[in-house]
Amino acid sequence: MGRIYKLEDAIREFVKDGDHIAFGGFTTNRKPYAAVNEILRQGQKDFIVEAGPGGGDLDMLIGAGRVKAYINCYTANSGFTNVCRRFRKAIEKEEILFEDYSQDAAVLMFHAASLGVPYISVRVMLGSDIVEKWGISEEERKKIDKLPDKKFIIQDNPFHPGEKLVLLPAPRLDTAIIHAQMASPDGTCRILGDEFHDSDIAIAAKHCIVTCEELVSNEEIRKDPNLNTLPGFVVDAVVHTPHGAHPSQCYDYYDYDKQYLRDYDAASKTDEGFQAFLDEWVLGVDDHEDYLNKLGAVRLLKTKVVPGLGFSKDMTKEVK
Amino acid sequence: MADYTNYTKLEMQAVTIAKAVQNGQIAIVGTGLPLIGASLAKRVFAPDCTLIVESGLMDGAPVEVPTSVGDCRFMAHCSVQWPNYKYVGFQANDWLHDNDRMIAFIGGAQIDPYGNVNSTCIGEYHGSKARFTGSGGANGISTFVNTIIMMQHESRRFIETIDYVTSPGWVDGPDGRAKKGLPANRGPLMVVTDRGVMKFDETTKRMYLAGYYEFSSIEDIVANTGFEIDTSRAVKIDPPSPEIIKIIREEIDPGQAFIKVPKE
Repeated sequence: MGRIYKLEDAIREFVKDGDHIAFGGFTTNRKPYAAVNEILRQGQKDFIVEAGPGGGDLDMLIGAGRVKAYINCYTANSGFTNVCRRFRKAIEKEEILFEDYSQDAAVLMFHAASLGVPYISVRVMLGSDIVEKWGISEEERKKIDKLPDKKFIIQDNPFHPGEKLVLLPAPRLDTAIIHAQMASPDGTCRILGDEFHDSDIAIAAKHCIVTCEELVSNEEIRKDPNLNTLPGFVVDAVVHTPHGAHPSQCYDYYDYDKQYLRDYDAASKTDEGFQAFLDEWVLGVDDHEDYLNKLGAVRLLKTKVVPGLGFSKDMTKEVK
Repeated sequence: MADYTNYTKLEMQAVTIAKAVQNGQIAIVGTGLPLIGASLAKRVFAPDCTLIVESGLMDGAPVEVPTSVGDCRFMAHCSVQWPNYKYVGFQANDWLHDNDRMIAFIGGAQIDPYGNVNSTCIGEYHGSKARFTGSGGANGISTFVNTIIMMQHESRRFIETIDYVTSPGWVDGPDGRAKKGLPANRGPLMVVTDRGVMKFDETTKRMYLAGYYEFSSIEDIVANTGFEIDTSRAVKIDPPSPEIIKIIREEIDPGQAFIKVPKE
């Protein structure tokens, strides 16, 4: 009865070495940082990360050496770090396997996975080096069970001969981790604002962990089912994790922590800087509560969104 | 009294792209310059245009400049918050329906004479000299939507052969897109840089110089373009009026998130 877990227990039970894993959110919005920090503390590794529009969350996993293969379409803390630096270094120094798709392709691959279909055909990527150049060769792919042997297949449209289509494999995800504004003990969850690709990965993955800002009763969350995103039975673990998307945004709750993102930008420029940042903010804290205490109440309150604006702003400075 | 006659290169670019948006168009914008330009279009030149972003947020009218296309500054001020895949589907359907109302802004590190753009890497794909974010929405956009390409105008960026084609333009000429299986009735319309405006010849689809600014010149542009470019059609583009510069600085980007005001 009930799917409430402590963050440590949820990550230990549902995140394993070598998992094909996907994370919710979009670059600097509703990224499940608290869960990523816990993975970094626990030590799971060798992930095949199906990234979607990634940000600093995935950059940290790459920088800490936990990613075996990175399936990329875009990786940036936009406006703070325009190309994530650990991602960039790992590719330039050939430290990880990586593959590129267009974002259109990546989100349709997630959607195909949620539909339970084996592949999806699209018209994007034609005429570009995304089809001409493979990050991970067919030979290399055959050594990794969880990756399809081919990046894509180009084929004639069977219903409209002469038209070229790109067939994209649907990923078979082990684990999805998303951050939601609200959930209840039975696993029902509610994402406010744009869900991005989050319900797709939740449905597609064998296991889904939802960290949430607020844990409410099963009765309360059913009062307005129209607002709910996932039924409890696709969710394995619900973790009460206030500010669990910090330093990214969480719609209707808080804005990004600009200083933290700037500090990460500076730190991630060098191996030493990155390691020191990780030691200070992730490995050197006991758990998420310890992390919030280290940030401090005032700093967190300053990220709170102003009702009506949807972002944080010092209203005391407004002229009347 | 603030000075609005001292416009910057970025402001010139923003005004140039703003004037390229027409009433009734749906403009796919990124953050930075495209958003400033499109916001200016909506406020001044084409009030009936609509702004959308590739994360899925439709008809946005942000009151503070967003830093990301998924930013709550956009999300809290739009008409509909679509999941990514619906945006992708809409973009393809608008082409399937033969609508001609979308325009998009993309950028990159390198561009060739046919408007193919690289935003992936410099050097080899494996072990690249410099690695960038990758496609994001740009490849899908360049497949289905007419584009305006934003570039810094330097001879190392405007080159005959780019290191990686992230977003196809006219590929290699008039039948380039059809040969690759791409929608042939879509492609890059113009390139707007800090030195001028380039367009594509209707017959050859090769880039030519269409205009230069008050602070640039044909010679300056030729010197900073790494391939041969026809300049016979180039005209001087009028500088922006102080009224327009005032709107950018006071209404669109008062926090100077992207457009820095020159110090007195």
